[in-house]
Amino acid sequence: MSTRISLTVNGVKHVLDVADDALLLDVLREQVGTTSVREGCGVGACGACTVLADGKGISSCLALAVRYDGADLTTAEGLDDNDEVVSSFVECGAAQCGYCIPGMVVMTKELLAQNPRPSAEQITEHLAGNLCRCGTYPEILQAATTAASRRAAQ
Amino acid sequence: MGEHVGASSPRFNLAGRVRGLTTHVADEPVGAAAHVALHRSTVPHARIIEVNVDDALATPGVYAVVTGDDLYKQLGERMLTGPAFADQPCLAYDKVRYVGEPIAAVLAADLATAREAADAIWVDYEELPAVYDLSDALDGDTYVHEELRPSSVFADLRHLHGIRDTNVNYEYNLRTGDAEAAREAGAMTVSGEFWAPPTHHVPIELPCTVAWVNAGRLEMLTTTQTPSYVRQSVADLLELPLSRVRITTRPLGGSFGSKMYDRLEPLAAALAWTTGRAVRLLASREEAFLLTTRHGAAVTASLTTDEDGNLVSSIADVRYDTGAYADVGPRITAKSGMIAVGPYRVDNARIRSRCVYTNKPSAGPFRGFGVPQVTWAHESLIDELARRRGDDPVEFRRRHLLREGDVAPMGTTMHSADFVGCLDAVAEALDWGTPLENTGGRIRRGRGVAVGVKAVLTPTIANAVLQLNQDASATLLISTVDMGQGSDTIMAQIAADVLCMDPARIHVVQADTDVTPYDTITAGSRSTYHTGNAVRQVAEAMRDKLIALAAEQFGTSEVTLDADGLHAGEQHVSLPDLVRARFGARGATLTTEANFTTQWTPYDKETGRSEQVTEHWFAGAVGAQIAVDTATGRVHIEHLAVAGDVGKAINPRLVEQQLTGAAIMGIGHALFDQLVVDQGQLTNGTLLDYQLPSSKDLPDKLTPLVVESPHRTGPFGAKGVGETGILAVAPAIANAVRDAIGVRITELPLTPEAIVTALQQRDSSEQEDR
Repeated sequence: MSTRISLTVNGVKHVLDVADDALLLDVLREQVGTTSVREGCGVGACGACTVLADGKGISSCLALAVRYDGADLTTAEGLDDNDEVVSSFVECGAAQCGYCIPGMVVMTKELLAQNPRPSAEQITEHLAGNLCRCGTYPEILQAATTAASRRAAQ
Repeated sequence: MGEHVGASSPRFNLAGRVRGLTTHVADEPVGAAAHVALHRSTVPHARIIEVNVDDALATPGVYAVVTGDDLYKQLGERMLTGPAFADQPCLAYDKVRYVGEPIAAVLAADLATAREAADAIWVDYEELPAVYDLSDALDGDTYVHEELRPSSVFADLRHLHGIRDTNVNYEYNLRTGDAEAAREAGAMTVSGEFWAPPTHHVPIELPCTVAWVNAGRLEMLTTTQTPSYVRQSVADLLELPLSRVRITTRPLGGSFGSKMYDRLEPLAAALAWTTGRAVRLLASREEAFLLTTRHGAAVTASLTTDEDGNLVSSIADVRYDTGAYADVGPRITAKSGMIAVGPYRVDNARIRSRCVYTNKPSAGPFRGFGVPQVTWAHESLIDELARRRGDDPVEFRRRHLLREGDVAPMGTTMHSADFVGCLDAVAEALDWGTPLENTGGRIRRGRGVAVGVKAVLTPTIANAVLQLNQDASATLLISTVDMGQGSDTIMAQIAADVLCMDPARIHVVQADTDVTPYDTITAGSRSTYHTGNAVRQVAEAMRDKLIALAAEQFGTSEVTLDADGLHAGEQHVSLPDLVRARFGARGATLTTEANFTTQWTPYDKETGRSEQVTEHWFAGAVGAQIAVDTATGRVHIEHLAVAGDVGKAINPRLVEQQLTGAAIMGIGHALFDQLVVDQGQLTNGTLLDYQLPSSKDLPDKLTPLVVESPHRTGPFGAKGVGETGILAVAPAIANAVRDAIGVRITELPLTPEAIVTALQQRDSSEQEDR
């Protein structure tokens, strides 16, 4: 069975026919073409597939696409280079292989939207569900801190 | 040296990485490929009686079902592949040797259909006794393989061919002096049984291979660190000339040794070739856990001093559990066995290092290549010896560490391996000389250090081709795979430095065996030195070529090259004008090529010694300051300092990231990371169950320390750094635990449970003493 749904991804509306059991992850990668959204574990434990759905960070590998009909989705490739989070990650050198970083970026976006002046502990806690196997955590935390101060200065 | 080598330039395509714009293998559109799912063994050791595929074939959407037997009929024993031993079939055909071994492949229109059909396959087994651990393997009479089958890759393994009735596929022995007699005569000996469990690499990118047949050629896009190796392996498998096999890659989303040699590639090639269909294999995380692992290793070892505190004897019996297939285990066994003494002056050493088959998923290369497992033993022993003697652990090591020009116990002379510099750097970072405050109560603080040594993979071959484009940009063709270590960035820096060019104008081509030249592998921290040397040479050849062209134009041989172009006295020509004048065309290219090869002297079979066992050494040290909660057993790391001698940092920022990244991976190995295999069944092979370091596991302070003791033949003095930071992390932390609570733990990981148990044992034995 398939269902017609509409997803707004990075500001562009997509009308899609999706199988009822299709995962949001697969729909985004295969039908919309947002390959910054990546499968690392399939069980919601690594954070590489994180997207923002109506501003909330979700594991798209655990999300049925049909349940997000009408949702407004943001992925890392939808942010431009001047975005405060993207530019902070670049400035802090917060990527090695970079595979997990888009998930880190959107989680940082979510945090700063909820809490514009997070403490170091709140940043660490918020990003604890996203794994970086290259061990870029020091630079990632520094980037999130930089993005927060950049936002506060605005 | 120009302005680019030594600069902390931003990583290549950094903004693209941050926004997820880098294209990885699984992101590439592949057209109408069959999706492949595998039916896997449910038993650890059995004869395959029958594989019934009728229900799978009848599933709508299934194109084909291929069993191991089907492939064996077409490929025969060529389907047995492996870097050291040709012992692993891409699909099992006569026996299964571990739980999870692939037996049949389903090709279908989509992955869900393929998986459903794979589940509908059933296999009739005649179960055999299984070899579950090292003691079963060494003391029992069940054998995982009927006979040993060394591959053609390493000439020095040939003598093992056909040996039967053993699970030991390789044994390395180091014998220098008389270690047993020296131990007997010594004043103090410490000994221990050490265990480092199997672990997994878990790069976040999952392995993916797409293979297809085009014009009689086998073409492949795959997540591999070893495209040149895979080309040879596939050519051998299909009996094709190398020119009819093409292996392409993309940047990897991490690897750490997991995506090299024969992973999904032989199966993908065999399926595409025998069915004529394009096939796509994408491992799930659960499947990725079964593809390769890090060796669990047991080390029984002792270290002895004389009355003056000189190290007089080192003895170790090292056993690597390599699982059902040898992979590169025999190499790991030798390369880590030869340094199992540690980086110390010891006249009498006896090391026995064995690679052992068991009925478990195969173990292969992992960042450090077996060395962290022996470092765990030697750095625990020397630390315990120092403490029992009442010596300072830093000073005691310092006294015995190998210096420049010293001949190590395995016979090779040390150069550009500044162990003392690394140790001093971490001791200073920890403020070692100042006593730690310990206020009593349940939290106990302590400090520990450890030193590591590893040889670079030798002998190996690197090639580079450089095309200078008429517009003063350049295209660099190498087969090094960027997997996060930053090779695309530093290779461009090296070429740019020689050619006085902006590194951003140099494009590094992704490995493609149709285009990029042979390079042994991207592994073993070898690329900076080997490929870096080839890149430096190819750029120097280009510089010479440009100078010769300009000399012709100027009519003088006194030509220099700088960022503005070529000069001779008052004469000047820009690079674009020079090349355009030479060819009379815009967009023309000039090409140079270079090769860099290292040689070794194979170690003596009896003594394990060699005057030139490696091209160079990696030297590293780690210092840890920790707090143990004696009520819960939890270890909190206050400060971790990690030092590595890199010869010369081509890009200091990237070097620091390699050091800290490796240290964080090492924290997992020290405190919680382990694969649990029960009766041959992997019980924690998902990321719900397998624990990895997260942002919450960071030390309060993490200090990378770059030590530079230039290598006489390194490019600008440089060596690699990918593994240096991981070698000594676990023993440094365990030594700090010893300092904090007086307990020596010899089994990794140092879980809260292990620490509480050790404290209880200490307390009950103290009570018995009263």
